Amino acid sequence: MRSWRRNRETGLEAELRANRPEPSRELVHQLEARVRQDGRQARGSFRLAFVSAIAVGVLAALGSVGGLGYAATGAGQAVAKATRIVHVHGVTQVHKSAARDQYAPTPKRKCRKGTKRVKGKCKRIKKAKGVNFRRPPFTG
Amino acid sequence: MFRVDPLANPEPLIRRVYSYVAYRVGDGPDAEDITSETFERALRYKKSYDSTKGEPAAWLIGIARRCIEGRPPSPELSSEHLEAADHRDLEDDALRRLALSAAVGRLEERDRDLIALRYGADLTARQIAELQGAKTNAIEVALHRALARLRAHIEGSDPEPVRKSQAGR
Repeated sequence: MRSWRRNRETGLEAELRANRPEPSRELVHQLEARVRQDGRQARGSFRLAFVSAIAVGVLAALGSVGGLGYAATGAGQAVAKATRIVHVHGVTQVHKSAARDQYAPTPKRKCRKGTKRVKGKCKRIKKAKGVNFRRPPFTG
Repeated sequence: MFRVDPLANPEPLIRRVYSYVAYRVGDGPDAEDITSETFERALRYKKSYDSTKGEPAAWLIGIARRCIEGRPPSPELSSEHLEAADHRDLEDDALRRLALSAAVGRLEERDRDLIALRYGADLTARQIAELQGAKTNAIEVALHRALARLRAHIEGSDPEPVRKSQAGR
């Protein structure tokens, strides 16, 4: 105390600076956390706004030179190609081939004239009554 | 296009604001409350900060001053605090701090504000002048006189008489 009183004339300003009240560590941490939390929120919304603005700008620029149609066509083609490449084909069946002819089942016989196949068998066609199928006589 | 964030590096700002407030109203919970209030207001009105008008510290001190003005005046730190401290056998540093804050507490409001701005918030005379709307020279002179009165308080003798014209400033 006494030493301080001796130096007060020359070092009062230094004393005022050196002995200035300091905040508690809790207060500093608490306020710092509060400020940083606010900063994070602000940065998040700023990023979103920035990205939206860039997207709108790019779309406007492309739209003005017809780039949107070009981009849509390109995208469509890319999708079609990708689909073609990725698409999984089933087992291919060849219906007409020499091998199939060789091992194919024997074709059924044709029925005679005046008969028709009924339940796998050839049966005579019944003539309707009163109907004459004979050729008319030659009259010269 | 991009605004400068005045609270980008908060820790030194918190310390400066607290020191200023504590020199004005006394070290303790009141000073902590006012510091918290200052930062809450600063966060709320962050967009109003203009980097061309001054440093973030000066801007924050302006807010802190308004917070203090909005509060009822705090009781001055008297020499009784110091006497009580003597009995508690505190360390030399703590005693020095108490004696100093008691002496600052006995100063007039304007002197206390100047001392707090210069040595608590660590603002330059020019920044104080901008904050108070005065000339830098006038602030330097006022600071010199405030220091003289503070010395007188520490000595325990009668302080330098305050002229009415100075006190009214």
